[in-house]
Amino acid sequence: MAPPAQTNRSPSPSQPSGKSEVTDLKSQLRQLAGSRLPGVDDSKRELFKKVISYMTIGIDVSSVFGEMVMCSATSDIVLKKMCYLYVGNYAKVNPDLALLTINFLQRDCKDEDPMIRGLALRSLSSLNVANLVEYLVGPLNAGLKDNNSYVRIVAVIGVLKLYHISVTTCIDADFPAVLKHLLLNDQDTQVVANCLLALQEIWNGEASTSGDAMKEREALLSKPFIYYLLNRIKEFSEWAQCLVLDLVVKYVPADSNEIFDIMNLLEDRLQHANGAVVLATAKVFLHLTLSMTDVHQQVYERIKAPLLTLVSSGSPEQSYAVLSHLHLLVMHAPYVFSADYKHFYCQYNEPSYVKKLKLEMLTAVANESSTYEIVTELCEYAANVDIPIARESIRAVGKIALQQYDVNAIVDRLLQFLEMEKDYVTAEALVLVKDLLRKYPQWSHDCIAVVGNISSQNVQEPKAKAALIWMLGEYSQDMSDAPYILESLTENWDEEHSAEVRLHLLTAVMKCFFKRPPETQKALGAALAAGLADFHQDVHDRALFYYRLLQHNVTVAERVVNPPKQAVSVFADTQSSEVKDRIFDEFNSLSVVYQKEHRGPFEFSDELGSLAIGTESDVPAHVVEANDKDLLLGTPDKEESRGAGTNGSAYTAPLYDTSLLSTATQVQPELPISNPAAAGLSPQSSLAIDDLLGLGLPAAPAPTLAPSPPPLKLNAGAACLFTASPTGHILIFVMDRSLSQELSVSPQGAAALTTPQTLPRHLQGHSIHCIASGGQAPNLKFFFFAQKAEESSIFLIECKINTSSAKTQITIKADDQSMSQAFSTLFQSALSRFGTS
Amino acid sequence: MAGAASALFLLDIKGRVLVWRDYRGDVSAVQAERFFTKLIEKEGDPQSQDPVVYDNGVSYMYIQHSNVYLMTASRQNCNAASLLSFLHRVVDVFKHYFEELEEESLRDNFVVVYELLDEMMDFGYPQYTEAKILSEFIKTDAYRMETSQRPPMAVTNAVSWRSEGINYKKNEVFLDVVESVNILVNSNGQVIRSDVVGALKMRTYLSGMPECKLGLNDRVLLEAQGRATKGKAIDLEDIKFHQCVRLAKFENDRTISFIPPDGAFDLMTYRLSTQVKPLIWVEAQVEMHSRSRVEIMVKARSQFKERSTATNVEIELPVAIDASNPNIRTSMGSASYAPENDALLWKIKSFPGGKEYMLRAEFSLPSITAEEATPERKAPIRVKFEIPYFTVSGIQVRYLKIIEKSGYQALPWVRYITMAGEYELRLI
Repeated sequence: MAPPAQTNRSPSPSQPSGKSEVTDLKSQLRQLAGSRLPGVDDSKRELFKKVISYMTIGIDVSSVFGEMVMCSATSDIVLKKMCYLYVGNYAKVNPDLALLTINFLQRDCKDEDPMIRGLALRSLSSLNVANLVEYLVGPLNAGLKDNNSYVRIVAVIGVLKLYHISVTTCIDADFPAVLKHLLLNDQDTQVVANCLLALQEIWNGEASTSGDAMKEREALLSKPFIYYLLNRIKEFSEWAQCLVLDLVVKYVPADSNEIFDIMNLLEDRLQHANGAVVLATAKVFLHLTLSMTDVHQQVYERIKAPLLTLVSSGSPEQSYAVLSHLHLLVMHAPYVFSADYKHFYCQYNEPSYVKKLKLEMLTAVANESSTYEIVTELCEYAANVDIPIARESIRAVGKIALQQYDVNAIVDRLLQFLEMEKDYVTAEALVLVKDLLRKYPQWSHDCIAVVGNISSQNVQEPKAKAALIWMLGEYSQDMSDAPYILESLTENWDEEHSAEVRLHLLTAVMKCFFKRPPETQKALGAALAAGLADFHQDVHDRALFYYRLLQHNVTVAERVVNPPKQAVSVFADTQSSEVKDRIFDEFNSLSVVYQKEHRGPFEFSDELGSLAIGTESDVPAHVVEANDKDLLLGTPDKEESRGAGTNGSAYTAPLYDTSLLSTATQVQPELPISNPAAAGLSPQSSLAIDDLLGLGLPAAPAPTLAPSPPPLKLNAGAACLFTASPTGHILIFVMDRSLSQELSVSPQGAAALTTPQTLPRHLQGHSIHCIASGGQAPNLKFFFFAQKAEESSIFLIECKINTSSAKTQITIKADDQSMSQAFSTLFQSALSRFGTS
Repeated sequence: MAGAASALFLLDIKGRVLVWRDYRGDVSAVQAERFFTKLIEKEGDPQSQDPVVYDNGVSYMYIQHSNVYLMTASRQNCNAASLLSFLHRVVDVFKHYFEELEEESLRDNFVVVYELLDEMMDFGYPQYTEAKILSEFIKTDAYRMETSQRPPMAVTNAVSWRSEGINYKKNEVFLDVVESVNILVNSNGQVIRSDVVGALKMRTYLSGMPECKLGLNDRVLLEAQGRATKGKAIDLEDIKFHQCVRLAKFENDRTISFIPPDGAFDLMTYRLSTQVKPLIWVEAQVEMHSRSRVEIMVKARSQFKERSTATNVEIELPVAIDASNPNIRTSMGSASYAPENDALLWKIKSFPGGKEYMLRAEFSLPSITAEEATPERKAPIRVKFEIPYFTVSGIQVRYLKIIEKSGYQALPWVRYITMAGEYELRLI
């Protein structure tokens, strides 16, 4: 049922009804304007109310501007308010008319009623017309010195508004200094709070251009000022308390005594009824204790109860916001919450956004003692009415299975899902069984028995179908009718719309062929023929590739398609811990809700929508990027990358390019990869890569890069670093801990390092390979990698050498940290022989 | 930095802007409306239902209240938790002014809405959100203009939540101790989760600046005072207080002292996560007699002391979507089939402790379903009830002292009530 007025939304309504009513209003207002009869204010009120409602529902009433201003000569505060409303709405689009109002607004700023003074000042500062700012300075100055706090509260915000309209006017009038004075001396806490937020905004804006502003901003974090606020915090309104707490977060206490003092002082804030205050306090606690590991753990314990209560009381939206924060904490320290898993059980009628977060947390907190109960609970949700949640919960069961060592019971559960005969349950369960088999091949026997009973007709979703086909190919020797199922699938090639499924079908038929040639031969022929005729480029290419491979040599083809597989030990997580760390810094901001770090000024990347339920099987580009950074960035220098982020898109764009590039190299492991800074790249892009690698090059592209460094041979070890699985999973080792050391090169070595190529050549003799090198003498930088013999542990080394001082700084990242030290010694000995041999 | 909201929108159920207040001028109503109507069209797609959504550089946060959406938009990395609770505060304030917040009441009160939005938030930063204080600013419906010369008192007060000069003929305080019990029982009859969320809700009609002191049978307090704790004391977990309570004093000696706001407010909330025995136990047996007939037998038992009585008991039993021709008999209360919820609703006005009631219902099912088909949906049995003069936790108000300098005698009224919160028993 649409209200009638809603149709009049356009700024210039064509409907005659709206127009005639406005004309009516105009004449009525004109009559009243000069009238001094008793009771005239009441009739004016009625008319004004009408004008405001027309304005709100979208009828253009700007034509009565003159009449409204004429009628505003009144002492009636209600009339005045409505008039201000009206003026505020139309001033921006009619700057000429706005000029008309300046006069009476300025007069009202001197009214004896503080309410009127305040309201007039707010309206005046909200006009937002650049050429009227000169009229604003006087009233603002008076307002800031007003003896009524309401007027001062309004005036302080007015200064901030002025700053946004005209920076120079605001600075020239020396308003920041006045605000600072109020900040330190005003009795009214709301004035102080508004000063604080206004000054923070102003000085943040000015800090980039003015050193003074920077100093002022620092001064906000000085000990006396922070203490001044903390001691008064109870007098502030709840919203202002959040503001103060937010400032305290940035304060760095001198010693642990001070930290405890602050925490004791703020302890009771955790009992505040307003969730925002509680969260802000939690943030302060977490930040203060970052460097004190044991106390930090206690803080987790302390803030746990209030946060859990906030989740269960209050509206679903608030629960969601609080849960997002809890989610972050849970991901950081799942063991702290391992006993509280029941709090994350879902209620039947909770909104699904709440359930989704709870499911993720249940997955994270599951440990040996609670797994059984959690999985039982999750299985309840699998029968849920809400299908997406049912899917999520099945996925959660799978994730727990992949985390735990004792998966016996869980596998049974998953297999039960397959027997539930609901399409979506079967689909999700199939994907999970496939992942599970890749990690625990020992379960293949039980799983395959059940999977074999599933009719491929009942599986329609591409992902599930692909998973089923993968299993058919991989375990064709154990499934008696695998070749025939594949054959019938091949016959329906044209009806298969998903390229992913067709790709898998090709590979599966190939695998099956090598295991059971006579039965599969026909299907293989049909599949290759269909694949070659396929309109999808990837499918076509793969079919051609297989075809030529078979033509070339069948045994080689078997080695390529059906190599012995290693069980996957770690699936790429959707987020690296480094990104989580950075989000942690932004506790209490939108980053937490989006589970996404905040880059640049007020920008989140646009992939947000798809982020929340990224499954492992489709690792989105940004995740690869994040992991990529993790792999290749030497020291995870937060400050640097953050600073670069705020510099604007110049930094992120090349970063993204290179991540795409490296994604490409990762999914095509068969291709020999030459040096990342290969000749094919233009100088600009190689510079971009150097940026990514953190080389910090000088402005000019380094000429040392032009003579190509020794080509990087990706041996077996390298292939392991970037392996694409048959299902398209990308295996990435996440190495977040690093070991940094100072070494020295022998003088001879330093002398031998005239060109960067000599060192890699030397180290290659010690099985340490170079990924990239760069820099200009005397400062050179190398990235190496090495793999431990017979094992998959990998080392990444960032090495900075100063040839003149013979000082070397290395950072080693290893997936097996216990080996770092040993490797460091080895690397050192290799390095010390450099130049002498 | 906390980050400011750019604008606040009030939208109707179809996502059209009813009223909006532009605070920073960087998000337009057209942009927001276009985004939000698109969002609403996607209803049913649970992934688009998050209360915080990002679109084209702007983060939107919204809540729904009856047929109105309240939404803030911001271009900054602002604090979602804080803005969402601010929106709820806005709802409270509107409810205080218009009795009920809905499209109609907004349309009738555009002027007041604008005024309130202006006072609650300035340039995107929350300011005052206490309804009583705001009424100092909002004059539209006040006719006695001669008093408007008085500046808003609360703003200059040390006590920001209470104005001076309040006067009542009869000074009274009503204190409601409300506990809601959340219980989740799995299909094996085990309680897998239970907790109690309690609130002390107060309505004060007191003159002047009264100083109140509340005494509870809090174990920590009693022990601190050296009194005997004879099983009557309780352990409160995670207590939260209204901002009027002097928290430092509570930390020191566990006394709850405060100057209350005028009118209704929640003085404190607490939580108990101790195992609670389900107060009302429901067992249901479903028997398929043939392909087309299903019989449900339900036993409801009250598991509290006989001197207490549960009132307004409502038991919602899920039944198959395609059930028809209900034939229901009950030993107490009345039951009706609510096909819109696919449920049987059994209402019992009064349910004394230690009693057991039965319900038997028969439904016809379409004969063409597969036998033993797995139930499509598995909704739990849900129970609602209220038990007056009873608390699960055993919390007791020992005294409520009211001292005002004029020395009037105030009447404190206390009432206890326990009710069902999220009370779910999963079907076998």
